[in-house]
Amino acid sequence: MSNMMYRAAVLSTIMEEMERDPNVVVLGEDVVGGMGTEGGPEAIGGIWSTSTGLYDRFGATRVIDTPISESAIIGAAAGLALSGKRPIAELMFADFIGVSLDQIWNQIAKFRYMFGGKTRCPAVIRMAYGAGYNAAAQHSQSVHQILTGMPGLKVVMPTTPADVKGLLRTAIRDDDPVIFLEHKALYATTGEVPDDRDFMIPFGHARLSRAGGDVTIISSGLLLGMCEAVADKLKGEGIGCDVIDLRTTSPLDEETILDSVEVTGRVVVVDEAPPRCGLGADLCALVAEKAFSSLKAPPLQVTPPHTPIPFARELESAYLPSVDKIEAAVRRVLAWR
Amino acid sequence: MQLSREALLAAYRQMKIIREFEERLHVEIQTGEIAGFTHLYCGQEAVAVGVCEHLSPADKIVSTHRGHGHCLAKGCDVDDMMKEIWGSRDGLCKGKGGSMHIADVTKGMLGANGIVGAGAPIAVGAALASRVDGPGPDGLKIAIAFSGDGACNQGTTFEAMNLAAVTKAPCIFVFENNHYSEHTGVSYAVGTNQDIASRAEAFGMKAWRADGTDFFAVHDTMREVLEYVRAGNGPAAVEFDTERFFGHFEGDPQRYRGPGELDRIRATRDCLTRFRASVKGAGLLSHADLDAVDDDVMAAIEGAVAAARAAARPTPEDVLADVYIAY
Amino acid sequence: MPDIRPFCMPKWGIEMTEGTLADWKVAEGDTFAKGQLLCLIETAKITNEVEAEYDAVMARVLVPAGAEAQPVGTLLAVTAQAGTSAEEIDAFIAAFRPANAPTNPGAVVKEDPAPAPAYAPAPRPIQTNRAISPEALKLAEASGLDIEPIEGSGRHGRITLQDVQQALNAPARPVLVGTLALAEEGKAFASPLARRIAAQHGIDLSGVTGTGPRGRISKADVLALVATPAPTQGAAFAPVPNPPAIVPFDRVRKVVAQRLTQAKQEIPHFYLRSSARLDELLALRKTANLVLGAKASINDYLVRAAAIALARHPDVNVQVHGATIHRFAHADVAIAVASPNGLVTPIVRQADRQSVAQIAQATAALIDKAKAGRLSLGDMEGGTFSISNLGMFGVEEFAAIINPPQAAILAVGAAARAVCERPDGSAGFETRLALTLSVDHRAIDGAAAAQFLATLKGLIEAPEALFA
Repeated sequence: MSNMMYRAAVLSTIMEEMERDPNVVVLGEDVVGGMGTEGGPEAIGGIWSTSTGLYDRFGATRVIDTPISESAIIGAAAGLALSGKRPIAELMFADFIGVSLDQIWNQIAKFRYMFGGKTRCPAVIRMAYGAGYNAAAQHSQSVHQILTGMPGLKVVMPTTPADVKGLLRTAIRDDDPVIFLEHKALYATTGEVPDDRDFMIPFGHARLSRAGGDVTIISSGLLLGMCEAVADKLKGEGIGCDVIDLRTTSPLDEETILDSVEVTGRVVVVDEAPPRCGLGADLCALVAEKAFSSLKAPPLQVTPPHTPIPFARELESAYLPSVDKIEAAVRRVLAWR
Repeated sequence: MQLSREALLAAYRQMKIIREFEERLHVEIQTGEIAGFTHLYCGQEAVAVGVCEHLSPADKIVSTHRGHGHCLAKGCDVDDMMKEIWGSRDGLCKGKGGSMHIADVTKGMLGANGIVGAGAPIAVGAALASRVDGPGPDGLKIAIAFSGDGACNQGTTFEAMNLAAVTKAPCIFVFENNHYSEHTGVSYAVGTNQDIASRAEAFGMKAWRADGTDFFAVHDTMREVLEYVRAGNGPAAVEFDTERFFGHFEGDPQRYRGPGELDRIRATRDCLTRFRASVKGAGLLSHADLDAVDDDVMAAIEGAVAAARAAARPTPEDVLADVYIAY
Repeated sequence: MPDIRPFCMPKWGIEMTEGTLADWKVAEGDTFAKGQLLCLIETAKITNEVEAEYDAVMARVLVPAGAEAQPVGTLLAVTAQAGTSAEEIDAFIAAFRPANAPTNPGAVVKEDPAPAPAYAPAPRPIQTNRAISPEALKLAEASGLDIEPIEGSGRHGRITLQDVQQALNAPARPVLVGTLALAEEGKAFASPLARRIAAQHGIDLSGVTGTGPRGRISKADVLALVATPAPTQGAAFAPVPNPPAIVPFDRVRKVVAQRLTQAKQEIPHFYLRSSARLDELLALRKTANLVLGAKASINDYLVRAAAIALARHPDVNVQVHGATIHRFAHADVAIAVASPNGLVTPIVRQADRQSVAQIAQATAALIDKAKAGRLSLGDMEGGTFSISNLGMFGVEEFAAIINPPQAAILAVGAAARAVCERPDGSAGFETRLALTLSVDHRAIDGAAAAQFLATLKGLIEAPEALFA
């Protein structure tokens, strides 16, 4: 095991996989950084430091620094994947899927189906998502709710450095297109990571980070830590929480969710995306449909409101779910009359 | 370079196959036997064939919603395509794609595309893949983005040209200017004085222009373009001036056409008629040679339609197959 | 507008279907004041005092004291302000339509000594500008709830029915499970529950192939390993997980549980055991069924025999209501039937007046309805006696719990061959049926019950009388 940052887990996994498989190619805006400047290549090395050193190691044919052309980045990833490569495309901010959505949604996600199962499109699209940096409405969003609803895509949102390692490796070696969502506010977090260069975590395998029999809290990404804090606090009162880190929203680990709800009968879904037609609503519907008889209280969502993400510090923190809001929701399902 | 008799016969046969494939669909679609949206390539055969006759299966093309010609020219099986358009589970895409989504990656055909302008970035990606592999004995494998005078206005096409230019990707942007983007004339919709190739030049690419209804003009131009791109000089563009004999889609009333326009372009701008005149004038092939090809093609299309009609239909269970390789 | 108000048989709790007006404390024409004792009403459980909720005149008494039990909702009396004319009262009574089993949500039943208001307070209208659903408003008004403190969960704070229901209930005090052991995620990918079970049973998952999606090890895979141990000779016993399947009481079970608990706790049971020779009845049944073309069961004959015996011993054919005994001329015999929904006791009405064939027809119809879960309340209400037969399961004998307000139940065991002494002194065999009579000592004394049982035994052993 090594102790490393979330961002280092991203970079080292890409590095290891590029060394292992010459078909792995990286492309995106400023993944090299400094191209065409006096500072020269690698002057930046990726704004999230998730591609630093790749260009020096593997060169311009496999580490493709692109202009600001999100459609072309994703479209090129599609063409690379259809031509037998394993592209890892980076969208600097998840919010930029808006620019490139046709290539994600109408092209990459659908190739295999439209073409009768005769093609493979092993593209990984990495993107930094999430609020907490006062980056306002166009650089803070969580986009998994849009992408999870698209058949043909797999959607991964790791929470810990170890999960980054295991899930990103699975994503790169997977033959289907994978959206890999990295939370900006987690990049600097650290954790123990297995050194095994074949360490992989299968998709659709949720992680139970706290175990308890009274309330099921489901989340992933930055907010998972808040859920754990609530579980740890309530433990002192004899209240046991199952805290489920989904890891992937597509495929979804229904089994872990339903197994837990069948014991607890109470569910709180904590999500960073707005409430309508989102992951929270999806999971509430799942338990209402498939665990109705186990429920002791209505399933609750803790999400931001149905608004864009505001800029000012006070506004952003009021917008986001918090430990207090999650705790209140947990207490509410426990006190359901 | 003089083409051999075999090459001439093959090129003619390919163009004729496309022509009769489309003419037959035009008839069959009226009967209601074929579902969905179909966009016919009829009139533009010399471009698809003149380009693709130079390519090997390792070279990639990305096509458009008007893709049957590109598919056939790149080697997709006639029977399997007809079955696909009929919606059979034995079709090239098991009845999942239909007319607008035919692909056969084993032939280097990376897909027709229902979204205008979506193909160019994908072709750049295929070209970047070739760049990773590096040149073979014949130079680099290339990728071709077929686009029309409609797609040339999409931002994706611009992004793709710029990305190809800055990465020196071995990509060729083939613009087929048939003068209509859906139901709108090129004089209205293309701002650069109807000159599409100049847009590629603005991105720093070398660009060619040729008459797309003259097979020999297309073929000769492409020889030059391919030599340039395979040598690693980066991307290039070609604009072919061509004609669309049918509407934007099957069922299009074509009220935008001028009086006698369709008769005129069929009489003066038919690539097959021009091909026949050229080879006969030069004494390369006889009428009998070409008639024999015609008969052979008619039989092949007849057989394809019969096979499509008899082919197995998909089942409700097939809906769930092939979304993922593993989920 | 004269303030004429109905006074109806109240419904105290979901079990109550009827009540008896034991005594009026205010006579017709009397003026009464709020808080004054109006009447005494008996239910199967208890006698309650009913206090006036308002000042008025007892304009008309419709149900006299000591009358038969009245269904919940029956108009018992009409009150009005002084000076209201008899015609107005008549018109009110003519127009009155009892609500179907009113729940009197505002009425508070104070069991002795506190009296209970039998009158449902008029809904208190709520004036509000807040957005609230119609059903929520209706409930809030009916229950007199102040909606202002409610935080509406709907769009723009709209108050939903659920919000009002939540505000009316006290917060739950959940029974907590607490935290559980967190099984480490190993090399083998298993669901958290599968890992927990594996850890509990010391199962190593590394070699296990999962049948779940993507080869994942699911709960079922681990349980399969736990459930199929290969015990070696002399190996220590390894318990398998034996978690309870938790099934909440359904409606029928709740009623059964409530009624039988109450019966067993409140009724002073005593038990009389006997047996009857069945050979004559078996022989007669064979020929009678041939003649009648009916398919009467032994139980049908027993119903008939019990009904005749009850008619002859009316002090056993009774119901107990509070401090009163209700005697019946005819025997309504309940038969215990195991239905998919649990134990039900449909009633063969006036079985003493029905022939065996009629009883057979009636019981067959009731059993069909019971098995289909389509018995109505009418099929099961009342009854003066019950028969429970477990003989078909080989039960030798058993004692049953009385089904109130009835005062006796007959438990019938299996018919068994037994050695007997013949009239000539030699030993022989006969078929005997074990009978156990459970009796409510509050209403029936031992001698009366014993006489009834002797009559019943005689009827079984000389069954020709059943066709009388």
